[in-house]
Amino acid sequence: MTAVQVTWLREVRAFRGAFSCGVPVAAFLAACGWTFVMMLRRNEGSVLQIQSVWGLSIAPWLPILSAVLTMRLFAEERSTGMIDLLMASPIRERDLVIGKFLSAMTVMAATLVFSMAVPVLALPLLSAPVQGTVHAVAFLATFIILFLQASAWCAAGTLVSVFFRNQAAAAVSSLVLCSGAPMVVYMAVLAWVPSLRADVAWMPLLVHVYDFSTGLFSTSVIALYVTATVFFLFGCSKLLACLRLRG
Amino acid sequence: MLEIDHITFSYARRRVLDDITFDVAPGEIVALTGPNGAGKTTLLKLLACLLMQDSGAVRLDAVNPLLRPLRYRRGIGYLSEHCPLYSEMTVEAYLTYRVRLKGERSLRVRRRVSEALEMCGLEAVAKTRVRLLSHGYRKRVGLADALIMHPKLLLLDDILAGLDVAQRRKAAAVLSAASARAAVLVSGHEIHEMMGWCTRFVVLNRGRVVAMYRTGDHQRAELARLLDRHMQAETEGTP
Repeated sequence: MTAVQVTWLREVRAFRGAFSCGVPVAAFLAACGWTFVMMLRRNEGSVLQIQSVWGLSIAPWLPILSAVLTMRLFAEERSTGMIDLLMASPIRERDLVIGKFLSAMTVMAATLVFSMAVPVLALPLLSAPVQGTVHAVAFLATFIILFLQASAWCAAGTLVSVFFRNQAAAAVSSLVLCSGAPMVVYMAVLAWVPSLRADVAWMPLLVHVYDFSTGLFSTSVIALYVTATVFFLFGCSKLLACLRLRG
Repeated sequence: MLEIDHITFSYARRRVLDDITFDVAPGEIVALTGPNGAGKTTLLKLLACLLMQDSGAVRLDAVNPLLRPLRYRRGIGYLSEHCPLYSEMTVEAYLTYRVRLKGERSLRVRRRVSEALEMCGLEAVAKTRVRLLSHGYRKRVGLADALIMHPKLLLLDDILAGLDVAQRRKAAAVLSAASARAAVLVSGHEIHEMMGWCTRFVVLNRGRVVAMYRTGDHQRAELARLLDRHMQAETEGTP
């Protein structure tokens, strides 16, 4: 087994038994269900397809779940002192970072799969009519963009958790970075260039979800999220290496 | 085996290690001693690659940790002062995880773990969760982790702290056995106990090596008097 696999396996097992995993995932699914129902009611008679409603009801909650899932990755190691043993072991920082990131992404992917149950359960209960035909490929495309967004948030959360010993502080900071920073940039753009208001009525991140769910694939959007993920993970491994400079 | 060559290290502007130079040969158990704040833990952290020196060099069998970090770290076993462990794991699962993380082949993992459990007298608690263990047993698990890959250099920070007499004897026996194939560097204040199994004492104060004594060169009582005098003088001199 490689160091990445060993780290991934340990972290997935730790997630399985962690209070900070089960409760947030359940809360996330409940919040998604509530948002899904609200969006269905609000958009009754509109042209929104069911996979778009599903994607748009999940995307706003992803940064919160990512922040909670990733808060313990390095903050816990630092608070217990295990980071010293890990750093004294013959493994590369990047293997450690990738192993931990992949474990968070495993939980995230499983949660996204579970969240597909939301439309399956909610539609019959609400007796809501479905616009057009529902294609599995359309759901897959929506899943891909949600997964890409989640990977960027999880990578950012992994990076932030290196800075802290306190998990709550790591979660809040990660949330500020993932949710607050894009929001502030977006609001600032709208404030400075009011003429854009009509063109970008939605948050661009939600537009990405909508576009993918309607079949509008964009390689530049995929490249954006992959680049962001790689950037945060690279930063994280370099930050760990920097810990050696001053302990 | 281990060469420490004019090592200097500072936290911000405060110099913590100042021109430290000594060697440790295979089979030696060297005790790093000195008052609190002398730089013992910092030196061990530096040797464990957790810190990077400002100047000077460290070499383990001619391997420089700054140039070949993975190869260097493959050769060391480290136990930190607070002996951190994953409390939700069993002792056996923890050691298995650590062996795999250190890159051992799958076929050898079980053998390594059972060897380490036997060496440190942990067979009876192999299936016990770490959080249920006493401090002494936790130290033994940490020691088993440090020893598990048969490192060339063992770095043990405050190994005897918090152990009762029986556990100290057991730890001493394990270290004496381990020194047959490794150089051992331990830190601590328990000089009278360490005299029984350490081959050399390196006394640090304010980041400097102030004395070195080979246990074979002195009578036990004389060595105790010398070390006590250093400790007293240094404690009084430490702000």
